[in-house]
Amino acid sequence: MQRFEGQVQLVLYPFALNPTSEVATQAAWCAGEQGKFWEFHHMLYRRQELWNRLAAPLERLSDFAKDLNLDTAALKSCVDSGRMQERMQADKVYGQQLQVSSTPTMFINDYRTVGTQSEGELVRLIRQELNRVQPQGQ
Amino acid sequence: MAKKSKARAQKLSPRQQSPQKPLSPRRWRLKLVIGGAVLAVALGVGGLVRFLQQRDLAPHLQGTGDKHYTLGTAGAAVVIKEFSDYT
Repeated sequence: MQRFEGQVQLVLYPFALNPTSEVATQAAWCAGEQGKFWEFHHMLYRRQELWNRLAAPLERLSDFAKDLNLDTAALKSCVDSGRMQERMQADKVYGQQLQVSSTPTMFINDYRTVGTQSEGELVRLIRQELNRVQPQGQ
Repeated sequence: MAKKSKARAQKLSPRQQSPQKPLSPRRWRLKLVIGGAVLAVALGVGGLVRFLQQRDLAPHLQGTGDKHYTLGTAGAAVVIKEFSDYT
């Protein structure tokens, strides 16, 4: 992202494919209410092996939240309240409209790419798109 | 073959049955034109559906979603929408 500063924006759509992921997605948004969405987001990936097979991962995720100095009671209460459900559902519907059926799926402007891409490939695709929308000399 | 002819004869209306004669070249041409038109429409509809499915639904992708976390510059030339699952 830093390489393309001012030229690229990333919009994240957490796309929960199972109940465990749904809890994690809601927890991330709830962490966002405390101003730490990205920290929590990165932590979910870093510690993925520690929680992603749990049927009810909220307790474990709350433990992680402590490490980020989050208010864990507020985080749990936020998830339990279900107030992020609607938002999560809206993203699912949006993803389905775009025929997203597996993750990760990315749209670089209108160009769809499915599956994990190497950094080099992503850079190439972004450059290609930048050249398309901003031809040199304009 | 005989059975097939019989079956076909049964389906024809009385007016068509008598006198039974082969279709004139004009009628054949009409049938071909109609058949061709139907086929063209079917192929066109099929092609359109496939195109709509395959193109990346640009109208839906314009702008960025509200209530979403973003990195980078708003209004940038390239917007990446990432759908990812935490597990």
